[in-house]
Order: sequence, then structure tokens, then C-alpha cells
Amino acid sequence: MAEHPTATWEALQDGNVFYRRHQVYSIHGKLPNLGDFIVAGCRYGGPIALMRDSSKLVALNTASAVFTKAQIQVYSPAGESLLLFSWDQGKIVKFGWTSDERLAVLNEEGVYRLYDLQGDYQQHSLGNEAAEMGIIDAKIHEGGLVALTGSLMLLELKGWEGAKPLTLANPGISQPPTSWAVIPPDLTISRHVEVLLSVDATVYSVDNLEATDQRLSRGPFSHLAPSPNGKSLALLTYAGILWVVSTDFQRSLAEFDTGKVPGAVGEVRQVEWCGNDAVFVTWDSTAVLVGPFGDTLQYFYAGPTFAVTETDGIRVVGPETCEFIQKVPASSVSVFRPGSTSPSAILYDAWENFNRRSPKADESIRNIRPDLGAAVNDCIDAAGREWEPYWQKRLLNAAKFGKAFLDLYDPTHFVNMGQALKVLNAVRFYEIGIPITYAQYLLLSPSQLISRLTARNLHLLALRISAFLSIPPNAVLKHWACAKILRSRPSATSSDSNLDDDAVCRSIVEKFEKVGGSGVSFAEIARKAWEVGRTELATKLLDHEPRASDQVPLLLSMKEDKLALSKAVESGDTDLVYHVLLHLQKRLPLGNFFRLIEEGGPQLAPASKLLQVYAREQNREMLRDFYYSDDRRVDSAVLSLEEAASSFEPTAKITSIKAAQKFFSEDKERSFEAKMMEENARLLTTQQQLEKDADGKIAFFGLSVNETIRTCLINGMAKAADRVRNDFKVPGKRFWYLKLHALTEIRDFEGLENFAKTRSPIGYQPFVHHLVQKGHTKEALNFVPKCDPHKRVDLYVECGEWRMAGKECKERGDKVKMDQLRKSCPNSLIARELEQMAASMK
Amino acid sequence: MAASTSTPNDTQSQSNPDESCLDISIFKELAKKALVDALNSVNGAKTLVLDPSLAGPLGLITEVALLKHHGVDKMFWLEPGPLTASTTNILYLCRPLIKHVKVIADQIKRHARESLHHTYTLFLVPRTSTLVTRILEEEGVLGDVTIAAYNLQFIPVAEDVLSLENDNAFKEIWVDGDETVVYDASQALIMLQKLYGLFPRIVGKGDYASKLAHLLLKQTSTTSTTFTSDNLLGKVSEKLDSLIIIDRRVDMITPMLTQLTYEGLIDELIGVTNSQVEIPASLLNPPSSQPGASSSTAPPTSPTTATAPSLTKEKKRKHHLTASTDPLFSDLRDLNFSFVGKKLNQVARRLEEDYKLRHQAKSVAQLRDFVGKLGGLQTEHQSLRLHTGLSELLVPMTRTEEFNKSLEIQQNLLASYEVNSQIAAIEDLIAQGADMPSVVRLLCLASIINGGIKTKVLDNLKREVLQAYGYKYIPLLLSLAAPPLSILVPNPLPPSIAQSLATSKYPYSSLRKSLRLLIEDPDPLEELENDISYVYSGYAPISVRLVQCVAQKNGVLSNPEKEKKAGEDSDGRKAGGKVQAHPIVGWKGFEDVISSVPGETVDIVQRIPGSTDTNLVPSAVSALLLPREQTTTSVVFFLGGCTYTEIAALRWVAKQSKGRNFLIATTGIVSGPSLIKSVAGTGKSDSGSQEAGL
Repeated sequence: MAEHPTATWEALQDGNVFYRRHQVYSIHGKLPNLGDFIVAGCRYGGPIALMRDSSKLVALNTASAVFTKAQIQVYSPAGESLLLFSWDQGKIVKFGWTSDERLAVLNEEGVYRLYDLQGDYQQHSLGNEAAEMGIIDAKIHEGGLVALTGSLMLLELKGWEGAKPLTLANPGISQPPTSWAVIPPDLTISRHVEVLLSVDATVYSVDNLEATDQRLSRGPFSHLAPSPNGKSLALLTYAGILWVVSTDFQRSLAEFDTGKVPGAVGEVRQVEWCGNDAVFVTWDSTAVLVGPFGDTLQYFYAGPTFAVTETDGIRVVGPETCEFIQKVPASSVSVFRPGSTSPSAILYDAWENFNRRSPKADESIRNIRPDLGAAVNDCIDAAGREWEPYWQKRLLNAAKFGKAFLDLYDPTHFVNMGQALKVLNAVRFYEIGIPITYAQYLLLSPSQLISRLTARNLHLLALRISAFLSIPPNAVLKHWACAKILRSRPSATSSDSNLDDDAVCRSIVEKFEKVGGSGVSFAEIARKAWEVGRTELATKLLDHEPRASDQVPLLLSMKEDKLALSKAVESGDTDLVYHVLLHLQKRLPLGNFFRLIEEGGPQLAPASKLLQVYAREQNREMLRDFYYSDDRRVDSAVLSLEEAASSFEPTAKITSIKAAQKFFSEDKERSFEAKMMEENARLLTTQQQLEKDADGKIAFFGLSVNETIRTCLINGMAKAADRVRNDFKVPGKRFWYLKLHALTEIRDFEGLENFAKTRSPIGYQPFVHHLVQKGHTKEALNFVPKCDPHKRVDLYVECGEWRMAGKECKERGDKVKMDQLRKSCPNSLIARELEQMAASMK
Repeated sequence: MAASTSTPNDTQSQSNPDESCLDISIFKELAKKALVDALNSVNGAKTLVLDPSLAGPLGLITEVALLKHHGVDKMFWLEPGPLTASTTNILYLCRPLIKHVKVIADQIKRHARESLHHTYTLFLVPRTSTLVTRILEEEGVLGDVTIAAYNLQFIPVAEDVLSLENDNAFKEIWVDGDETVVYDASQALIMLQKLYGLFPRIVGKGDYASKLAHLLLKQTSTTSTTFTSDNLLGKVSEKLDSLIIIDRRVDMITPMLTQLTYEGLIDELIGVTNSQVEIPASLLNPPSSQPGASSSTAPPTSPTTATAPSLTKEKKRKHHLTASTDPLFSDLRDLNFSFVGKKLNQVARRLEEDYKLRHQAKSVAQLRDFVGKLGGLQTEHQSLRLHTGLSELLVPMTRTEEFNKSLEIQQNLLASYEVNSQIAAIEDLIAQGADMPSVVRLLCLASIINGGIKTKVLDNLKREVLQAYGYKYIPLLLSLAAPPLSILVPNPLPPSIAQSLATSKYPYSSLRKSLRLLIEDPDPLEELENDISYVYSGYAPISVRLVQCVAQKNGVLSNPEKEKKAGEDSDGRKAGGKVQAHPIVGWKGFEDVISSVPGETVDIVQRIPGSTDTNLVPSAVSALLLPREQTTTSVVFFLGGCTYTEIAALRWVAKQSKGRNFLIATTGIVSGPSLIKSVAGTGKSDSGSQEAGL
């Protein structure tokens, strides 16, 4: 029987709060002396990374050959060595863990690498600026980092995809801060990263907008540590005073003099948080946990330790053990606290009595009847908080027992907890070495946990867990396939390798079909295969990829240009087509590029069209070549026309028009367009001449034929107008309308009269209409008699001349019309007159 | 007769809440939220530089106050020239067009030369693009810009209309061959499916409609396998019964006709951009307050400035035409313009009576009741004034000779009456100086209906057009003639494009009979009112008839209202009101007609991806149950844009039967002139004032 849970509890705050210290793994002799190393720990039960601290003296002996070059070692919390790699890229400034458990290593030139647990890495840089100034320090948090440059500027990097760093507000400090800390963006109010710099006596808080002096006087501080929820901050002065404030420095939460801790020798190693409400200060061989009211618990160790803050506690890796210290969760307290009378404690007691076949069980259940539901929930929760399967089982059994007395109880919680515990117990096993608590598991999410397992190449376990939790096994399968490709390098003989490719591809596809990994991206696996030089295998795998957007980039890097282009076109995603086109345009000689598109025929037509759209705006030279190489005369002509439209210089314009004419004339079906272009060029020269005639006072150039005639007429160049009319064979009707409108516009009614003397091809009705429309009713009247007799009445009415209209009716003897007039006339005066006329008609 | 005109509105107000359309305001919320997220991703005060073509769409989903609230200090239009920003952060929001990117690159380089330090963020609508990255790279500023996407998809422009508000969709697809819009549309439709579930059936007509349908299927199957929990892609929708995709190329006749509904006519004659219409400010303000306001704002010390505005044209103001705040507009918008006057008159009379009620108010309680209604009366009064004013603006425009002549030509062409004299009439219109778009649309109409215009005649007409409006329109004429558009072609076709077009000649004359496009006897307009041909005074839009072929088959063959009346007469009682909508069974019954129309035909039943035969049973069951059990919505997607009149016609269809609503989705609202202008490349260009507003 495992020892009772309370055996590891220690009371704080007069027995109201308990902290428990739980040994997770015994790691005696597995880790080197942590005091000689710089250490970075990963949250959620992740591994720790060690690099020799070059500022420390080390006794040189045969075993320490590893110290001669920069090396980083990664150990699981159970003390197993996971990874060892050496560094060849300048001085390492900082290393730390990302949220997906990769080790980010940053050097003084601003280059950083992200190592996964298999030793594969991606390399990015913080940019030239960072490289020039040099990086002197950095803080790495899970979602990015903040680097301090040699010129004491802060650079923020968001995410780990190689984004461009942002410069934060200039803190305006003249020397490096004595210590500093970063509050990650998801924990601040503004949702942007906040940096705290301890300079002299005060602390500056810096974000991307401004740097604020918090006006403190207690500094300088040797340690700054924000709590896991970003709400509080622990500061340690050089005098050893630990001070806890809210991160906005508005409220002082606690104060504690670390100098009074017995056995605390030498420098403080770490100030870390244990959950969100206690601070953990470590020295070489001791540590003290400071509660919110300044009360303490002290722990002793055999040597230097390293503590990793978790959201619900703190993990301490010492020379002998890896242990976890946390505030005892409320549910555990309520079940196990000595003398607890909470319903859950009574339920647990009842269950124990029941097992002993004691009638007290029934009595206890009766007592807590109204609270039974809550008690069951508490027991389930408490089970999740226990490390030992023995106690987990007992608590779950107690819950099950209580559940039986409830009429309606949703068992989801119970079932989920059972599943979660099974998973947790599996990953906590020392060979796996992920000491994750239930609270952390909820925060991290099961799928993240699975990806952590796959990162350790524990595919079978990961697959079983995902099947057990019914999570799609895609991520696991993908990782597995990549690992398989890496491992199954073909043997030396070429014939064998081909066979091997087929076999590998088949085994991967079969496995996916068997396990149901329908959504796995084959493209990523194929890329992996291609990266290790197995093009054949990559092509085979790529055939299984349904998403073109994933296929295409790899096809491009494999130089399968035509296939990439046709796949992109097939996908219908124009952006993807552009991606391929622009890539190919850069890589291929122009001729080959054009040929590729032209030979594609109708299937690649959309790509060709898109290329034209792009080139029309950005690269006309190329478009011209493209049209030319494809004998596309009409398109070439239109291109020339567009150039003509955009050029303001007359000769250039005419040249472009003539070029267009030439292109049109080369296509025998385009003789009409060629003729029009010829006319256009002629018009432009005529207009140049006209402008010269008008001493450049009137602008003609670029007008249409109509406008040219109109402009001539308005400016009294009637002769020129006639000439243009004849030159361009403007039909009579159009010319008459033009002249009518132009003369009306300049109110040349005399001219209009003269003009109307010749027989009009449009009749005279338009004269009346237009003049009335422009408000010249009096002039309009003159033209009414010229119109068709039967239209005249209406035209008179249009001019507002009712009397004339009446007279016209009378003359024509149209009684019906007269009646209409009388009905529609505007006032009684006219009505009377019309009546008289009507009367006199007979 | 008064009763008959008010029927549609009464039925509308009677419609049960459960019969109402899907609530699409969620799209507005989504767009707004995405915008706020985009703004918040940049900390602190920022300068927003906005693509003018996005101002309208954004205006539909948000207001300036919201932007200011999220740290937007100043807004500018994205246009060539230097940019002076007072804030460190500059936020560009634009569509991924090359010209925009070049302007941005230019501004950034200019800042660099002047050694101004700014942080640039570029939000692309609706998604990021390799093209933009490439151009920024070519211009050498890629490193200075953070690029992100602002996924603005469907915007609700009315309670039953979703629009992508892409004005150039038609040109991009059929002239440039740029299929980005098709892809964007598929993304937007997937979003729709995420919200409401898979379309049980996808029917469509047209080459690009089929492209869109297949793209949609492919995308749905690839996205649904990856996420299933947070959306409804995993199941067939119960609210939607089908997606009907009509590609604009299938019916080029309808947009070439002058729209005759109230809203359509406003669009034709005044122009509606993003549901906003520019009208004289006096229509929006009560005229009584106008002189007072102007005199108080004009400083008395400077008489010159006071007189200046009177010299210039009356100030125009933008007004957002929406039925949600303007109840009168929802009654008016779909009416044939010839009925608008009557309707306004009715409303005016009713208002007057309502106002008169105050004299009857005797007790305090009655008076209180009246005062309570007063607010509503005043808004109604205000909107009555607006619409009366708008109608007054429209009436003289509909009286011009050009307008009536082109209407006459259209009607005659539709009836294939004396085609040659119609073409001559078009030539006369050119001579009279009618504006270019209306002439070109008539030419296109003549060409489509008659399968081309005789080469000699056409060449002459083209020459007239070029001479009258400028040789710069030669690319326009070429684009209109070139496949796949081919809406202004010579007859016989030149050999080079003959083969590709021989099969796609538009069978107008046979469609006219089989789809009952023309109501032969159009004199009693009230009779027509129950058929969709009401919206064009006697012509039923082909596009809507095609939708009816899927969703209201009897409506194609005969007028459902007429039949109903006949039924009533024989039974002597009202036969349960409206006809129950039949389930969607694809093109069934009209296969021959549909196949005669050029373009591919689509009819796909969507199933849950990866499901086995057992899952077919529920869908079959639901197909049986749905029509009776609950009202479903058919989504009609117009690829390449639709006109207000087509929307109106679909609303009529929806009113005629119960159990089915239409949700109209489109790439944008178009009209004949806007289409021609966009093909000509002289589309709407906003007058750029430096400081932007929405």
C-alpha cells in the first residue's frame, strides 16, 4: 500500500493551506552537477537542456572532454539523455523552450535555431540590424523571444516561423539592466509583450509603444520573475529582500527577507514561482517556499538544483531526485485533510466503511445526501490530482460508489477522468518521463501531449493514446512516416533502392489506410523524402496527396515544372497558379517559360491568362515578348494601344497607334481594326495641325472625331469642321446633330438658322426638342413650322405655346386634338381661348 | 385594383416568422469581428490607408466610430502620391491588386528616403497573395511590411442578398480570364456551408458555374476531413435545400435591358454603389431647415464664401438605401416604376389620415397613444419625402427621347420585330449623341438575340461608335467580340473563332417559347404583376426562369397566380393560399431546354464525405419530409453579378409559393452600363479626397 497522500503535505498559513512535495523520479547520478551548467527547463513536464557555464571553473579530468566545445545536452525529467548536439555558430546567448517542445538557441549574431528532440533544426535570423549590433541577452518564452541588442534596444520576435522582429520602444537606458523579465503577450492586458527591465533603483516596463519608468526606489534587483498568470511579479534586491508586487506595480503583495533563511549560503540561484501564489527561492543546497503572507517552508538538497515553474506548482530537479512541489488542490484537501467533514471526505469514508462491510456507510451517505453530487465530483477531481494509481483507484471507486446513490448523474466526467488518468500514468512512467499533472494536461491539451510523444519517437504509445482518446491519429502517422523514411535509407545497389522506394511508399500508404489517417498530408511526408534525397519516393508519395496547395510547392522544388503548373491550374486557386508562374519566370529562361505555357494548350489557358494580367501591370516588356513569340497580333496591337493611351507625348502616341495598326494589318481578319487605326493616326495628325492653326490655344489632341468637330464649331472654325467631316466621312445625320448641339451651346442662333436652310437629314423636330431642352423655347418656335404638319401641335405644346398649338389645330381642323389640348392646358385663361378657337372652328 | 396591387405586400407582412429567410446578419458580424481583430493586432494608434473600392463594402459592415474606437487615428485613400502619417503604425487595407501594391511600395520607399520611421502592416482582402509578396519583393520593400489577410467575404446588402461586392468580377472572368473570383466565391460558399451545413443539391448552368461547383465540391471534401467539430461541413443542411449557380454568361440578355423596377431604375439612372446612392442633400434634410442651416453655417463676415456654394451644383450626399431602416423602401424597391407613383400616393394618403388621428384624440390616453406613434410616423414621413423626391428625379430621366427610344428598341428586339430597322435606330441614337454604354448594350442585345450582326452593318456601326466616342474603345469592341464573351459578333463569324462558337450560339428564339420569356399581351400590367415578367414590363429574365426551372417548375410553364385564380373560380373558395413549393429535383423536366443553352450543366447531389450507403437514407427521408415540414432556403448564386431587377424577380418567385425562400448571393450588383464600363476599363473610380470616410 502506498503511503497516505497526506504524508507529503506540509501546512502553511496556520494549517489552512497545504503544500505537498512529491518525488517524481529518482535520478541519482544521472545528471552532472547542475551548478556548472546553464539550464533551461520546459514546462508541462518537459525536458531540461544543459550547457556548460563557461564562467565557472571546472576540474579538468578525463571525463570532462565534453566541456571543450560548446555542447547542449537535453535530459528528460527522469534523467534520461534525450539529445546531445554541439554548437558551431558563434557564442550562444540564450536558449529556451518553445511551446511545442523545441529548443530555441540564440547566438550573439542574432541567429537562432529550433531543435526538435531528434536533433533536426530550422535556422532563422533576427535580421541584419540585430547581427550588426550584436545580441547581448535574450528572454525566450513559449511563443517567441525578446532580445536585448548591443545598443540596448529590445527586439521582439513573435512566433517561431522566422518572422521579422519588431523593435520595441526604446527604454533609453545607458547600461544593461541588472536583471530583466518578459511577460508573454497572452498574459498581458494589452495582448502585446511586456518587458520589465531593472535599472538602478527602478524598473522600466517596455512594450512596443512606450517605455514607462515605474519610479521605484528599492532596486537594483538581482532577480525578476513574473508569475505564470502574469499578474504578479517577484523581485529580489541585492540585499536579499524578496518583494512581490502586482505587475502594474500598484499593489505590494508580500515581502520577505531571504537573509534570515537558515542554511542559505552563497548567491541566490533562482527565484521562481510555484503556481501562482508562492515564490520559490533556491540556493545551492537549500530552497525556501514563500507563501503569500510571508510564511515559509524550507527544503534541503544535496547539491545545486534547477526549478521549473509550472502553472500549478514547481518542478525541482536536484542531484538525487526530480520532485514536484505544489499547493494541494482544493479537492484533495477536502477529501484528505485530517478531520475534514466535507461531503467528499464523508463519501470517501462511507466507501471505506462499505468495503469493511460496516453499516456506517449507509448512515454517512444519508448524511450527505443533498451534497452527494458535489461529493462525487470532488472525489473524481481528487483522483485526478493523485500521483499514485493506488489512490487514484480508491478515489474513483469512492466516486463510483457515491454515483450509485444518485438518480441522474452524467457520467462523462467520470469516464473522461478515467481515460485521462490512464494516459497520465502511461506518460509518467519513468521510461517515457513526462511528469505532467492533471491540471497541466488540461492546459496542454491531449493532442499536444501526443505530439510531444511523437517528438520523442514514441509512435506506438502516441498512436495508442490517440486511438484511446479517439483523436485523429494524423499527426502521429505523419511523424511516423517521416521517421520511417529517415530510417529506411536505401542500400548501396540502385536496383535495390527502387524496390525499397516502392516498399516504403506502400507500407506508409497501407498503414494510413489501416489506421484511418485520411487527412494526413502526404505532401509533407513527400517533402521529407525529397529532402533526404529520395526523389523517386517523394513523387510516389505525392500522388496520394489530394490537396494541390500542398503538392505544388514540393513539385516546384523538385523541378517538376509542368506538373506543378497543371496541378495548380487544376486546383482553381489562382494564387497557387501565380506562385508557380512567378517562381518559374524567375528560374527558367524566358523562351522555355513561354514554351511551357504555350505547349500546355487549353488546359493551361487559365495560367496563360493570369500571366497576362500580371504582366500587363508589372512587366509589359515580357508581355510583349510573350505575344510576339506566340504570334498573337491582336493582343500585341491592344497592348500597343494601351501604351498609346497612357503616353501623353504626341509623337510617341502616334508611333504606338501606328504600331498597333501594323499588328492589326498582319492579321487578315482584322482589316477593319487596321483601317480604324489608320484613321486614328490620321485624326491625331489632323488634330496636331488644328492645334497649330489655333496657335495652341485650343486642345484637340486625343479627342474623338465627334469632339473634334464639336470643338471646331464651338471655336468658330466651321471650315475646319467641314474638312474633318469630309476627311472622316462623317454621315450627315451625325454631323447635323453635332452641329445643332454645338451651335446651341454657344447660342449662335443665327448660325443655326442659316445651317437649317439646307435640307436637314434629321428633320427639324430634333431642333425643337434640343432647343427646348436647353431652355431656348423662343428660338425653338422658329423651327416648328419646318416640321411635319401633324407633329406641330405637340411641338408647340412642348414650346409652351398653347395658342399657336390651338391655331395649328384649327388650321388642320383637328377637333380631337383640340379637345385634348383643352383638357391638358395649364390654366383657365388659355382654356378659355382654346374654347373660343374650338367654337370658331366650325 | 387597389387591392390587387397591395396583395404582395400584405402577404409579405403576413408571412410567419418561421417562414422568414435565414438570418444572414451573422455575416456582417463575422466581417466586423475579423476587422476588429485585424485592427487590434497592431498595437496603439494607427493610420488606416484604405483601398477606395473597399470603402463601400466596409461602410456596409461598420462605421467610422468603430474604427476610431480601435485605434484608427486617421484614414486616407490608397492612391498614388506621398502619404503623411502622424502615427508610427500604418495599416494598409486593400484588395490584392498590382496597382495598389505599387502605390504602397512607392509610399514606403518615399518614407525611407525621407528617413521617416513607420511600421507597415498590409491587410489583403480576402486573402494573402503570392503575387503581392512578389511585387513587394521586386520593389525591395518586402522586409518592411507585415502581410496579413482580412477575410471579407459575403456582405449582406439586403435581408436576403449576400454580395462579395466585387465590381469587376464580370470583366475579370470573361475578359481577363482571371478566375480568382471563382475561387473566392467557392471560399465564401464554403463559409456559408460551414454555418448552415452542406447544400443537399448543387445545380448550375454555365461553364464557370460548373467550374465553381466542382471547385466547391473539391474544397469541401478536403476541408471537411481536417476540421469537423467547429462547423457544419460534416452534415447536410436542413435549412438549405439547394445551391443554384447561374453564371452571368448564360444570360447576357437580361443585363443588357433597361431595368424597370424602382431600385433597378435608380441604379440605371443615378447609380447605386455598394447600396449607396448619391442624391442631392436637400432630399435627405427636411427642406424647411435647409435655408436656416445654410445661413447659420455661412459666416456673415465673408459674403463671398456664402455665395460660392450657390454657384456650384447642389451638394450631393450619399444615402444608404436599405430596407431595414426604411420600411417604405422595402415596399417600393421591387415595384415596376410605373406603379411607384401610385404606391407613394397611397402611402401619402394613409400618412395624412394617421396624422389626422390626432384630432380625434379626445382623452389623454388617446393622445398618449398618438404621441407614441408619432416617431414612427415621422420616419415614414421622412422616407416618403425621400422617395417622392427620388421619383421626381427619375421621372424626367425616363421621359427623355433617348431613354424611350432605347426601351422601344429593346422591346422590339426581344420580340424579334423588324431587326434591321432596330439596328438603324441604334445608329440614329449614336448620331444623336446617346451615351456610349447605352449604345453598346443595345448593340450587344441585337447581336445576342440575332446571333450576330451582318458583318458589313456591324463594321459600319463600329466605325460610328469609334468616331463618336473615340478610337480608344477599340479594345472594348475586341473584348466584346472575343470568346468566351462573344456578345458583339459579326454574322457570319470569321473562320478563326467560328468553330469555337458554332455550338454556343444563343438559342433565343426557341427559349422565348420554351421558357415563356415574353408575355405576348402586355397591356393590363396588373395581370402580369404575378409573373416575374412584371419587372421588365413583359419580359421575364432568362436567369430567373432558369432558377424557376429548378425551384418552381410550374411557374415557367404558366402563371401560377392565374392558375390559382382559375382554381378558385371553379372551387369557389380560396385554395389554401399559395402553392406549396416542390422539392428540388434538379433540372428535371427541362433537360432539353437547358441543354440548348450554351455552357455546361451541373446537377450534383452532395453527400457527407466518406459516408457509406447507410447515410443515404436520412437524406432521402428528409427530401420527402422537408417540403411539408419546414421552410427551406434555396441559395441562388450569380457568378459575375446580378441586377436589382433579377433580385426583385426572385422575390416575386418566393412570394408565389410557400415553403421556399431564396437567398440571393452574388459577386456584385451589376447593371448594363456598369458591365460595359467595367469591360471598357473605365469603371467607377471614386473621386479621391485625401482624407477618407466611409
